[in-house]
Amino acid sequence: MVLVLALGDLHVPHRAADLPPKFKSMLVPGKIQHIICTGNLCIKEIHDYLKTICPDLHIARGEFDEDARYPETKILTIGQFKLGLCHGHQVIPWGDLDSLAMLQRQLDVDILVTGHTHQFTAYKHEGGVVINPGSATGAYSSINQDVNPSFVLMDIDGLRVVVYVYELIDGEVKVDKIDFKKTSTSNSAP
Amino acid sequence: MAKKGVPEWLNSSLWSSSPSPIPDDRPLRPPPAAATTVPPSPPIFERPAPSPSAISTAPAPIRPPSKSETNDLQNGSGVDGPGSVTPAAEDVSRKTQVVAELSKKVIDLKELRKIASQGLPDDAGIRSLVWKLLLGYLSPDRSLWSSELAKKRSQYKQFKEELLMNPSEVTRKMEKSKGGDSNDPKIEGPGALSRSEITHEDHPLSLGTTSLWNNFFKDTEVLEQIDRDVMRTHPDMHFFSGDSPVAKSNQDALKNVLTIFAKLNPGIRYVQGMNEILAPIFYIFKNDPDKGNAAYAEADAFFCFVELMSGFRDNFCQQLDNSVVGIRYTITRLSMLLKHHDEELWRHLEVTTKINPQFYAFRWITLLLTQEFNFVESLHIWDTLLSDPEGPQETLLRVCCAMLILVRRRLLAGDFTSNLKLLQNYPPTNISHMLYVADKLRSK
Repeated sequence: MVLVLALGDLHVPHRAADLPPKFKSMLVPGKIQHIICTGNLCIKEIHDYLKTICPDLHIARGEFDEDARYPETKILTIGQFKLGLCHGHQVIPWGDLDSLAMLQRQLDVDILVTGHTHQFTAYKHEGGVVINPGSATGAYSSINQDVNPSFVLMDIDGLRVVVYVYELIDGEVKVDKIDFKKTSTSNSAP
Repeated sequence: MAKKGVPEWLNSSLWSSSPSPIPDDRPLRPPPAAATTVPPSPPIFERPAPSPSAISTAPAPIRPPSKSETNDLQNGSGVDGPGSVTPAAEDVSRKTQVVAELSKKVIDLKELRKIASQGLPDDAGIRSLVWKLLLGYLSPDRSLWSSELAKKRSQYKQFKEELLMNPSEVTRKMEKSKGGDSNDPKIEGPGALSRSEITHEDHPLSLGTTSLWNNFFKDTEVLEQIDRDVMRTHPDMHFFSGDSPVAKSNQDALKNVLTIFAKLNPGIRYVQGMNEILAPIFYIFKNDPDKGNAAYAEADAFFCFVELMSGFRDNFCQQLDNSVVGIRYTITRLSMLLKHHDEELWRHLEVTTKINPQFYAFRWITLLLTQEFNFVESLHIWDTLLSDPEGPQETLLRVCCAMLILVRRRLLAGDFTSNLKLLQNYPPTNISHMLYVADKLRSK
């Protein structure tokens, strides 16, 4: 039972001041084992804040991130799943399923987490699952001005992932759930 | 030295606790020096026969059991020590008594208690069976055993399933029962994954009081504490600690029992020290030569632990510390007991050297003397404690009082520091005669 928080595109301080208070009250330390962040934090203060929630923090570089040392893509293995992380502005067309699927095959991962569109999506295709946690602060994007803050929490338990989607709609936190099971075809284990 | 209130026999040099020069390899109580059916008495005292049988209860010699063997419990009373006359006679006779009592159809608990208060033999799973009877886990009627055991063990299994699952498994189970979801999810073609809304508040970050997840995270603190303590239980014993899979599974069993106890008793949850009380119980049940019983050691240990704790839970509850049932009062009772039996020592300890009995008696009482003696000896002491029909507390206080009286010479000669050191590291002593002294205190 591993809890993995996926979020990104906060754009603090340029486009948003901070995470919504309702989100912040839920994100307490001690519950989450890993954080994967799609990028565009943009400043070190947010990095430190995320570190207080969970020390195991993985970030991919977004185009507005001030810390240039984050990698473009990252691959992690959590439990039985391989997760890939990338901001997504590199994949053109932005948010296109087929192009993201290409990236997923390139990275050879079961779950690909990308952002940049500031829109929550969860797609499944033969290669695996692509998740976009949206923007945790609700910051505007170049394609979309009206963004609901959202993030994703994944509960990885053996071969099964339960994806909890947290969205702030009209001031209320709505939680949805998506179930995903990995067929036990092997990705070659290291 | 005024011998007011201290009987002659107590002051005899026979009772001094300095170790004798005879090295001995016997794991248990030392064999009696001479045992025949006629109770021989050394000049000073006579050991009263507690049960009216003709079996001798010869006085135990002044030989402290050696501490070196802890794991070697299966050496029964048949092992002869070097040079003793009829070494195992007393033990054998005790064993036959116990076995005879146990093989009856309906066991007489009073009789069993009397026998047990003398100590139980260490072999053939006798202790395991007797403790289960004394703690009320098994009823005296043998014919009811299989049904009772089956019931209790399945109840424990149920507890485990309900209380030890983490929330992911719980939600999965709930869904399975609701939606009739087969193991293969509906094969969705490429495209957006279907979302299902969560109607009730249950998601991992929920802060609601009824939330499974929230309660799970709140319990983790308790679980961490239990984990830490279990790791520290008896580090010198292979049964409990080390990296072997046996040790790991035993530790897991201890953790499970303590966790379930904590969850079922939100009033006291888990307090440090409960692991020490559970350890001997689990050890005895797990080492039961009967494989069927040993397999269910965890379940049996849970219920016996609950039974034992029911008498002692007030010691662990912080709010009750200062009340009439709390630990402070119990310590005061010990103090009064000492004053009653040995006023001079009491005065020296409390008034002259100002040793607050809490400094030493707290651990003695709350942990039922498991930390003061080595494992084998504490099992022997527990035989006597558990055999008390009024509950272990009374006997415990008498044993503590006996412990104090036995080192009185050193205590009277010592000051605060040396006395405190002595009492917090109680010297190795002959358990049998310590229990005998405690028993004598009862008659007063």
